[in-house]
Amino acid sequence: MTNSNPFLIHEQKGTDIQNPMDGQWVFNVQKDGFLRADFLQMDQNLNVLVVLAGEGAKCQINCGYLINKCNKININIKVLHKVKNTTSIQQIKGLVADSGCVDFVGTIEIPKDSQKCDGRQNHRAVLLSPKAIVSATPQLEIWADDVQCAHGSAVGPLDKNQLFYLQARGLTQKEARRLLLQSFLGDLMSTEFDAIISKWVDENV
Amino acid sequence: MLEIKNLHAKVGDKEILKGLNLTIQTGEVHAIMGPNGCGKSTLSSVIVGHPSYTVTEGEILFKGKNLLKMAPDERANSGIFLAFQYPIELPGVGMAQFLKTALNTKRKFLGQDPMDAVQFMKYMNLRAKALDISPEMLKRSVNVGFSGGEKKRLETFQMAMLEPDLCILDEMDSGLDVDALKVVGQAVSVMREKHRSFMIITHHDDLLQYVKPDKVSVMRDGQVLTTGSADLVKEIEAKGYDKF
Repeated sequence: MTNSNPFLIHEQKGTDIQNPMDGQWVFNVQKDGFLRADFLQMDQNLNVLVVLAGEGAKCQINCGYLINKCNKININIKVLHKVKNTTSIQQIKGLVADSGCVDFVGTIEIPKDSQKCDGRQNHRAVLLSPKAIVSATPQLEIWADDVQCAHGSAVGPLDKNQLFYLQARGLTQKEARRLLLQSFLGDLMSTEFDAIISKWVDENV
Repeated sequence: MLEIKNLHAKVGDKEILKGLNLTIQTGEVHAIMGPNGCGKSTLSSVIVGHPSYTVTEGEILFKGKNLLKMAPDERANSGIFLAFQYPIELPGVGMAQFLKTALNTKRKFLGQDPMDAVQFMKYMNLRAKALDISPEMLKRSVNVGFSGGEKKRLETFQMAMLEPDLCILDEMDSGLDVDALKVVGQAVSVMREKHRSFMIITHHDDLLQYVKPDKVSVMRDGQVLTTGSADLVKEIEAKGYDKF
């Protein structure tokens, strides 16, 4: 498997994995199968397609991104609920500094015969510079009527009240920013990524 | 400990503190009472250096030093602690990690060695036990998913951990049931020492039933109108603020 940006197949059961080239992934999750995969994008595009191909299949895709300098990346994550009774969670969180730019498209497709599916997607990003850009496009293609679906996206600077609360407890503004940014991504990603995240935050806070 | 002279402060264009004078002696428990909107919470925000408020006139001396020249973190590390009326949620920031960072930042500021993980856990567990804070509460993110009463207990716990010289309790009693009030009152009693002062901001006497103040100041329209003994509390409860 190749990927120059860090990734982790955290857990899988009954999943066929294809990784034809850098940053391109196709997962086929079979009946009662399970997949949890974590991706951390730093300067590379990511294209993920998850096909929930058998009843009872579940997936959780956690994608973090840390983008700085003039780097520009595209992140496309699509989950196809090919059959009924399948469940998906997409969680995407990122930090963008300098003139970094991220274009995120997240798709949940539920065809009309795939009843009783549950598809969720949440995207949040913190902008660390006025020049940083994040564009988020959630695409819900829901043709079945008896399904649960939810999505949300929030992009903005660090919360001023959180920063002040930490400063009122003695942390300098820089330490407060560092702690909040590390926790923001650390909360989502496996602990294996902690060192990479803290190094990036130290360099870009 | 704290000396405030002719303090004027505004938020946006609105002047809220209009020439406030107040002195809190070392070792004193000083209650600040007043009706809603009189500027009590603004006073506490200005003391800790909240960026939304601008001081236009006057001075604040803390242990003889000009407080208004210090950044918020410097004020905290010099010994000022504000227990927030509405504690802020910090998703993903564990309480233990947060307190260890805060405590070691303060120790560094004071020229002391940092506590290592083992020393810190011992120090924390001892205080948690005394304030009935369960280990589960400490494993969770700061203030996330806690009830109003639990959040205020956690503020008191942070106060006990950081051992400040001046503890400011901002409307600690709003929305607290009797049991939670007792816990907060107990924490203040335990921490009440000769070298430590308390400023208890409140608009009724609920918390003051558990903590007897040495002094009471009554605020109205951005000023302190009068300062007296604990008997003032009874007078306010009997006659209301209109008398002042």
